[in-house]
Amino acid sequence: MEIFEQISNAVIEGEFGEITDLVQSALDQGIGANEVIREGLSKGMTEVGRRFREGEYFMPEVLVSAKTMNTALSILKPLLVGDTTQENVGTFLIGTVKGDVHDIGKNMVSMMMEGAGFRVIDIGVDVKPEVFVKEITEKQPDVVGLSALLSTTMISQKETIEALKEAGVRDRVIVLVGGAPVDQNWANTIGADGYAPNASVAVEKAKELLQRRPHS
Amino acid sequence: MAIKHQQPDLVPLFIRYVGAVSSKLSRIHGIAGRDLEIKLGNDGVIVQIGINAEYSHKVVPDGERWTSEWGVTYEGMRGISQPVDHPLKEPDVSGYIWPDPHKPERMAEIKQAMARYHSDYAVMVDLSCTFLEAGYAHLRGMEKFMMDLHLSRDFACQVLDGLNTYYTALGVHAIEQGIDIIRIGDDIAGQNGMLVPPKLWRELVKPRMESMIHAFRKANPNIIVKYHSCGDFSAIIPDLIDLGVDFIGTMQPCGQQVDMAAIKAKYGDKLAFLGGLDTQQLLPNGSPEEVREAVKDVLRSYAPGGGYVFMPGHYVNLDVPLENVWALLSAVHDYRRYPLNFD
Repeated sequence: MEIFEQISNAVIEGEFGEITDLVQSALDQGIGANEVIREGLSKGMTEVGRRFREGEYFMPEVLVSAKTMNTALSILKPLLVGDTTQENVGTFLIGTVKGDVHDIGKNMVSMMMEGAGFRVIDIGVDVKPEVFVKEITEKQPDVVGLSALLSTTMISQKETIEALKEAGVRDRVIVLVGGAPVDQNWANTIGADGYAPNASVAVEKAKELLQRRPHS
Repeated sequence: MAIKHQQPDLVPLFIRYVGAVSSKLSRIHGIAGRDLEIKLGNDGVIVQIGINAEYSHKVVPDGERWTSEWGVTYEGMRGISQPVDHPLKEPDVSGYIWPDPHKPERMAEIKQAMARYHSDYAVMVDLSCTFLEAGYAHLRGMEKFMMDLHLSRDFACQVLDGLNTYYTALGVHAIEQGIDIIRIGDDIAGQNGMLVPPKLWRELVKPRMESMIHAFRKANPNIIVKYHSCGDFSAIIPDLIDLGVDFIGTMQPCGQQVDMAAIKAKYGDKLAFLGGLDTQQLLPNGSPEEVREAVKDVLRSYAPGGGYVFMPGHYVNLDVPLENVWALLSAVHDYRRYPLNFD
């Protein structure tokens, strides 16, 4: 449908001034909020992710596209209350680990996850291991992201995973780690389930690991 | 000499230590600051001025907040300060009061460093974060400034113009003190390439850098211009050559910059390099033997024929065990003599 293409193009091109009218026009045509998200916004963000991964888009473009998506979601989300048909890819909880206040990587991952249909819970920066434990126990996410920019703070990723083990919640969640000094080797060393070098790959990794997870 | 592509007798050293490491080493050696860095073998000293200066070396207790003359608020975290509040809340610079670059006291530290070290050592003045990083990390906040580059381009340009005016004047004053090297730059790259599109950097930053470098060379035609970015900024290296930059660093070994010998082969006749040793995995987590091998590897790639100053890819941070600091220093002292010999 033409309107879906217009919405996804608006996300791709970051036309956030136009997105409100486009979304309203879709709703006026009787299209459900859920369908607008799935066929318009998510498709747009998937393409943004591809362009970012392949070096066509950089941080400014991704942020403007995400802002466009969020503008649309602020209209659509209230309409989803009580909608049982909505697709639930999974719940994703993310925070920047203790001692580190850098949030851009965390925010980019959150945006991409939201674009891919995850319910995202962002618990902020400088998050202590015990706070991760508490939030995971309460919110029961499927996937958890631990972000760190510095070589001096990536150790907090390890401490957080250890705290999850001690609290007995480690195996309830898929743990992804990311950040400049982090690599697959570090992820293996500290017992994370996966590592992603950027926000777009993080989404693919989360989906892939969720599919492989034995269904309870 | 090394920077002018002549082969000196030794590869020059310029290793930087974060405040907390410096304090640790200072307790061992009984001296502090630049004297300590010289004692550990450095061939030059650096004086930082501008928005980045106070912040990057100020050691404050964890959780303590302070506000700079630019109106940026910082908080102490694990031995370094981090910006936590930014003065430009809206995309509007009209009410913002830029610091005055002409205050004579801004040259005080440079004058002291010149008097104490210049007879024997190179003196570098550092003006980074000069453009984009001053905007995103300090004045406006990362997400907002990154989006401003598209959504509020006029505002972003006004910020960059304000910075250009300030840093050009500040840099010219510094050059008039007789310094050897002026360092400009921004962290505009991540592990695998640029954070901003190279095209956008060419449109917004390159012309401003051009006018700045022109003013610097007018003040001293022989001034060495050094450019700094963390991460893999290899996409704009040809642009830096266009601009007449002499010296680049810190060549973090990530992305396209992993292949150090290829970078040297491609650009070594036009640019001198600083850095290259991995500070993200190797220095904090490697064994002293691995550090020693890596030092040899970096020297083998970048040092042949001159045009290289040794430094790790970043500061020696407080996660580096002291035994690796000693391994680093002993290896570099063992292998930095020309003609190079790694046996």
